[in-house]
Amino acid sequence: MSAAVEAHGVEKRYGSLVAVDDLSFEAQPGEILGVLGPNGAGKTTAIRVLTTILEPTRGSFAVAGVPHTNPAEIRRRIGVLPESAGYPEHQTGEEYLRYHARLYGRNRADARSVAATLLEELGLGERGGSLISTYSRGMRQRLGIARALVNEPQVVFLDEPTLGLDPAGQRQMLATVRRIAGERGATVLLSTHLLVEVEETCSRVMILNRGRVAAEGTVAEVSRLAAAPRSGRLRVPPDDAETALQALAGVGAVTGASVDGRPGTLVVQLAEGDSLNEALRAVVEAGIPVLAAELEGARLSDAFLAMTEAA
Amino acid sequence: MRVVTAQELRDLWLGGRGLVLTFAFSLLLSVVAYLVATNRGLNFLEHRETVNLLLQVAIAVGALLSLLAAADTVSGERERGTLESLLLTPVSRLGLTTGKLLGALSLWVVAFLVAIPYVWFLGRGVGLVGDALLTGAVVGTLLAVFLASFGVLISIFARSNRVSLSLSLLLLLALFVPTQLPSSAQQGWAGDLLLRANPITAGEHYVGTIVTNGHAWTTNASWLISPLLCAAVFTVAALALGARYVRLGGGSTG
Repeated sequence: MSAAVEAHGVEKRYGSLVAVDDLSFEAQPGEILGVLGPNGAGKTTAIRVLTTILEPTRGSFAVAGVPHTNPAEIRRRIGVLPESAGYPEHQTGEEYLRYHARLYGRNRADARSVAATLLEELGLGERGGSLISTYSRGMRQRLGIARALVNEPQVVFLDEPTLGLDPAGQRQMLATVRRIAGERGATVLLSTHLLVEVEETCSRVMILNRGRVAAEGTVAEVSRLAAAPRSGRLRVPPDDAETALQALAGVGAVTGASVDGRPGTLVVQLAEGDSLNEALRAVVEAGIPVLAAELEGARLSDAFLAMTEAA
Repeated sequence: MRVVTAQELRDLWLGGRGLVLTFAFSLLLSVVAYLVATNRGLNFLEHRETVNLLLQVAIAVGALLSLLAAADTVSGERERGTLESLLLTPVSRLGLTTGKLLGALSLWVVAFLVAIPYVWFLGRGVGLVGDALLTGAVVGTLLAVFLASFGVLISIFARSNRVSLSLSLLLLLALFVPTQLPSSAQQGWAGDLLLRANPITAGEHYVGTIVTNGHAWTTNASWLISPLLCAAVFTVAALALGARYVRLGGGSTG
């Protein structure tokens, strides 16, 4: 199965400033790829290059099987919600979608039908006839997604779709993203700052930092990649805390252990690359029941911070 | 391109901007027509001269309206954040530019239609209406095409809508400067060259020779060279550069 998006050594320069540097990755059909990175990491520029808005300075890429040398054909097969997209205030949502459907070559009847369907699908059915100037931020974002879907795209690029939305709006938006991939079978490249939601929504993530790919893989893989320094927390009966500490002292994978402020909670420092398993085994073999165990430093947010701060 | 043009026309006319500008234009023509028909000082003008005056105002202001609309085309979309979604569609940049240029030119077409009854009212009875309208249509269209193309060109490269509109108006004022020169400065080969090279002064001079002096169409046809050349060159330039340089950051290489 060929990749829905593949980039090889893509670079985008503005004079001496390198906005995207040697970007190489693949996204498979139907997957949701989270694109993460701090402000200025090159996420928006990368998306603009891949959506043919900007020309790459170097490198090559293909979207939906179409090489970057054929931008018009790529545009036929993609849907994009740009960051901070503007909307014509004097048009209604329905007119806006109809116009864009017409720009993709649909006839009047088709355009009308697809606009009505998308408005319903995105929960804007009752407001389709209202001027966009009366729409809330969340409604505009949903309208933008509807516009991105008028051509039934194979690949959808969403640049910060949850920006400025309240928590309920963010949840609704991410449910829509999952629906686009699940029901329509489209590949979704989702650029966002919401790490927790990425963990729930994306099949894979790519972390960009200073224009380069800092990490790429499944959420678990990326989390593991950047897990150092790592530690774990063990909860044992408070009376057994001292014995547990003695048991941990002899474990090679443990570089240090101490009692946390809360009674019976031990903080265990682990050697790089080691898991909590050996520490757990030592405590259990000492006859101490483990009430809870939690590995720290293995979440996506830790990986994100480690990779973007270290670079 | 047809879809873009249709949308531009809808935005301009159903959005109300075109109607407001046309209303202001018709008010201006009404005032001019009223003055030349009733004012004692102006009333001493030859019948032909009153028609010429009104026609020249109609051409100048009608073409100006097209210039204003054209100067907003690309930079306006850029500023409102709506350009990116247009560029993301499979419509070519050439199609976008052409559609927007045609939309802007619709203002001149409507302005000319509005001017027809005024020209008829002032020119009736001296067998002048037909020639005046035909000359006005030809010269006005050439000047409107030239100015609208120039407006689109500026709009393509301007970083903001304000810059685009300011530069367009500056250009128009610069083109009108020779009309304010004393008549002595308009004499001689240098003055003649200045008037002929400037498409506005050349076009208006040509209208004057037909409407006021009653010359034949071909007698002073050489005065049409500049408007014709400017309309052709700037249209080709606007479309060619639009096809390549309509992009998110005006003037940037991005």
